[in-house]
Amino acid sequence: MKEDLLDIVCCPLDKSELELEAIRRDEGEILEGRLVCTECSEEYPIEDGIPNLLPPDMREESAA
Amino acid sequence: MTEEDADRRAVRTTYDRIAPYFSETRAHPWPQITEFLEGRTASVGLDLGCGNGRHAEPLADRCDRVVGLDLSRSLLDIAGERAAERGVEAGWVQGDAATIPLRAGTVDLALYVAALHHLPSREARRQSLNDLARVLAADGRALVSVWSVTHGRFDAESGFDTTVDWTLPDGETVPRYYHIYDPEEFATDLGASALAVERTFTDSGNCFAVVRGKGKRTYQTTG
Repeated sequence: MKEDLLDIVCCPLDKSELELEAIRRDEGEILEGRLVCTECSEEYPIEDGIPNLLPPDMREESAA
Repeated sequence: MTEEDADRRAVRTTYDRIAPYFSETRAHPWPQITEFLEGRTASVGLDLGCGNGRHAEPLADRCDRVVGLDLSRSLLDIAGERAAERGVEAGWVQGDAATIPLRAGTVDLALYVAALHHLPSREARRQSLNDLARVLAADGRALVSVWSVTHGRFDAESGFDTTVDWTLPDGETVPRYYHIYDPEEFATDLGASALAVERTFTDSGNCFAVVRGKGKRTYQTTG
């Protein structure tokens, strides 16, 4: 994801702003990292450039 | 885990499994979408339930920025590859259409096509419509479509829940949950939501609605 996506996305639970913790970047893209809710502190992973903003109870990996 | 949670996870699992085959059959936007987009321009465009991202290109033609949101990570990976091949810029987000992880009033132009009908309760579907109203800018517009009982394959007059099998190349079938709407019920759910309805129509077995946010809203979102 590009950093400017932070202006648009929010926490799915309380709709508060998210803070970026980038772990790996490439040419302005954040490839690995976390988005952390500034209100409830829930952490949302960014994997291979795509943030997973599913509510935590829907996040668990499917068996397939 | 509630039964509804299980159903919603099942929809995701199904699309993760059928993603590459599904994508091959979903190459072009429907004509109703092209018609809706005609003449509209926007700062931020959203494809809610974007699937393989086939609307990213037409949205990118008229929006400064495009966001595609889907439940299925496998479909988002395909959408990203497809956009890169075509030189289309878009941001991809894995998320739930009933609890949209986007800020209020940020979206000027949205498509919510053939996805609402996968939410397995009327409450979740209404919550999703309310959340769409929340993310739309004051003058934002969206096109919503769902599968309808008016489609030739159904023999029913009122809305109902069903599963429709997807057949994989090896012959195995994977079920997908659908709520098939009747047009009156679709209008009722829209009317009960925080969306303002500009027009509704049925076409090719689908119900469509052009909607906008109601501007200053007094309702509270839940969840």
